[in-house]
Amino acid sequence: MSNMKKRLSLLLVGALCLSFTACGSKPAESSSGAPASSAAPASSAAPASSAPAGSGQEGEAKTYDKKLKIQYANVAPIEGYDYNAGDPYAQFWSEKFNWELEIVSFSWDNWNETIRIWANSGDMPDVSIFNYGRGTQPDAASWAEQGLVKRLPDDWKERWPNAARVFEKTSLGPQMEEQYGGVYFLPRARFDVNLPGDPLPNHQIMYIRKDWADAVGFPIKDAYKVSEIMDYARLVKEQDPGGLGGNLVPIASYPTHALQMFVQHNSTFYDTFYKDADGVYQWGGTSPDTLLGLQLMYQAFEEGLLHPEFYALKADQDDDMFRIAGTAASVYTDGTATGMQVNMMARFTESVGIDAREAVHAVPVLGEDGKFHQQDLINYWGTIVFAPDIEDEKFERYMDALDFGCTEEGYRIQTAGFEGEDYEYDANGNMVSLLPEGMPLESSEGKYPSIGGYMLANLKLWDDFSFETPVVDQHWRDVSKAAYDNKVKYGTPETFAKTDWVSWAYDSPARRQASFKYEDEYVGIVTNSRSLEEVETNWKAWIDSKMPMIQPVLDELNALG
Amino acid sequence: MVMSQPKPKLSRGALLWVQIKKNRQVYFLLIFGIIWYAIFAYIPMYGLTLAFKKYRAVDGIFGSPWVGLDVFQYVFRDPAFFNSVVRTLWINAGRLIFQFPIPIVLSLLLNEVRLGKSKKVLQSVFTFPHFLSWIIVSSIMLNVLGHQGILNSFIKLFGGEPLSIVGNSRVFVPLLYITENWKSAGWTAIIYMASIAGIDQEQYEAAEIDGASRFQRMMHITLPGIQGTMTVLFILAAGNLMTAGFDQIYNLSNPATATVAETLDMYIYRVTFQSASDFSFSSAVSLFKSVINCFLLIAADRVSKRFGGSGLFG
Repeated sequence: MSNMKKRLSLLLVGALCLSFTACGSKPAESSSGAPASSAAPASSAAPASSAPAGSGQEGEAKTYDKKLKIQYANVAPIEGYDYNAGDPYAQFWSEKFNWELEIVSFSWDNWNETIRIWANSGDMPDVSIFNYGRGTQPDAASWAEQGLVKRLPDDWKERWPNAARVFEKTSLGPQMEEQYGGVYFLPRARFDVNLPGDPLPNHQIMYIRKDWADAVGFPIKDAYKVSEIMDYARLVKEQDPGGLGGNLVPIASYPTHALQMFVQHNSTFYDTFYKDADGVYQWGGTSPDTLLGLQLMYQAFEEGLLHPEFYALKADQDDDMFRIAGTAASVYTDGTATGMQVNMMARFTESVGIDAREAVHAVPVLGEDGKFHQQDLINYWGTIVFAPDIEDEKFERYMDALDFGCTEEGYRIQTAGFEGEDYEYDANGNMVSLLPEGMPLESSEGKYPSIGGYMLANLKLWDDFSFETPVVDQHWRDVSKAAYDNKVKYGTPETFAKTDWVSWAYDSPARRQASFKYEDEYVGIVTNSRSLEEVETNWKAWIDSKMPMIQPVLDELNALG
Repeated sequence: MVMSQPKPKLSRGALLWVQIKKNRQVYFLLIFGIIWYAIFAYIPMYGLTLAFKKYRAVDGIFGSPWVGLDVFQYVFRDPAFFNSVVRTLWINAGRLIFQFPIPIVLSLLLNEVRLGKSKKVLQSVFTFPHFLSWIIVSSIMLNVLGHQGILNSFIKLFGGEPLSIVGNSRVFVPLLYITENWKSAGWTAIIYMASIAGIDQEQYEAAEIDGASRFQRMMHITLPGIQGTMTVLFILAAGNLMTAGFDQIYNLSNPATATVAETLDMYIYRVTFQSASDFSFSSAVSLFKSVINCFLLIAADRVSKRFGGSGLFG
């Protein structure tokens, strides 16, 4: 019996030792150390095309003998989708650049915090998309200073001239290059030759049901004030032209979009510091325009125009109420032509069963002063960063792909697909789509799902081509273009402001401490108020609670002169 | 007559060594526990030095430069920090009142169920929610209490106006107590049930012969019998007064309730991950929290001893 106990003890100890060993051992193959496969297909070596003026040049097509496995982290890719061979577009890139991408996923909600953890713990994937913005600028400055992301070689502009040309268009890129004394972040340009305006308007616009607007006698205009949209929502709520009863949502919006729609469109600097007319820095949180936006949001919430639980909605849930369920009378969301093609032509028309071109009216939102309010969007969205220890051959391979994506040929493939398959040129030299009407090129419903999520070597985003692409219905191209034009038309230098780079790029411990999640802060003020007066009281109390952190930043900024 | 030789008196260290040799298999197993504690509990404590350093990832915790109490100056400048401390203490004081007694009552009631099968079924039903994660519980809560949830559907069915519960900051804290009780009371009751199982059955028999009712037996035998366990759990709960259940609050809160949901843990999460990351700042706040928790633990232990309890260490 005693022997039995001893053996049992030894067995348990042995099992423990084995489990410790198993926990501590390394996997057989690291993700970055993919062996070169002899079976790897030779590069398809797409022929180099002559480059039109202003659209970048392509050098001689390279071939790549060694297959590389590259980790690529991006936001919201399609879970489980094969981005190497799932469709011909993915195959094209993986064959041309002889790579196997290992997709790492961020969700919209954890994008920033995930990459912060990776950078600070030295676990950056080979290539990542970093959500560079005012809120993450201190992180970026810190990473560049500490070398937590790769600094591009000094001769990168000569080696990858097409990428360098696009880099210069982004405003942010050159500014940060000057600030950091080198290039650590490659901003992805929204626009290249089709820049809609400077300052650049944001994409979000208001979609309303035109058929319902007609039914309730609401006028169709090229832009609406926030209060006018609320009028429309009230009319629809009262008359319920869709017969939806309790399921009707007059204005579908999740917190971030609600904040932009009600507050940003009345208060340009609602979430930042700005120079007033006297050249003194102020904080936008204290602006009376911010209070106006909050009070409008409160009214919409109190009257049941907003979804009763809009504060708990996640991104896309608001869109789905409009484009899938058909229960929303309006939604404030993406206004790019490509986005419209997916959301309206494909999703709305198919799910709601009405031609979106007839039933949907999409226009910009204005402040109560009739002006368009927004800070310069800056011509980029997301930046590409490389792990500081990325192997040279992987870095160079990916830079080659980025450079190719900036050429006429590469950009055409990213935005329009393959000639002869997805589009062709008519006798007049105009591009004509060969896709079935309503079918988008990208997204899970599209022909090439791997394009969705701005995947694969994208340094120049779709926006630039969205006004021309034949795969987007002409109607939506016109609507999108008109929306950008109207934002510029209704904006003034005071309400639609250019970037103040001093304030934008300013970093200090006090500045870091004074960064808040504004949608939570403002939505909290609205939902915790019981009257318009209480909104003001709560707003003032909120300002008082923030000033100990805000005032030091104002002092520092004003000391800069 | 044979005189037995007196055994040489061994020192305490030698005695311990003899014990270790005698039970070497068991002590060998202990090594892994010690290693685990060292690696995962004690060595990481060095990370708290970040509270006095300007953290640079590239230099690591060891190499980052010391900055004295600078970080604490920033911490104490932030009114949101003090608000979160007060909120945490307030919520957890409520937990001691509204949560702590529930598993005790539940275990006492379960102990009175005489049908073994029913008792097991009930115990399983009460214990099951413990195995659900908070993200699942929050989804259930949304489906039950949301605007289009079961509760509001019933209210609308009877012609009432739907209630806003998940976004109502006034009911957020009570909702924390309710959901925590639903999720954990059954699980915690197991500890008390185990303690009850250790009570001498002869006491019950004697009390029954003396004519004590079941309620009297419960109050005068069972309850005093688990007093020691209650004391230990109360001291541990008091020692966690600055820790307010991050998982629960993170999953149940939303922007509408953010003002009442920002406990110290949520504050640390916000300043660490939701704004520009400053690990020194969050370490300083964490250190502050740990020191206060330690103080509360010792204070509860002393108070328990003063009132005749056994305290945490017997």
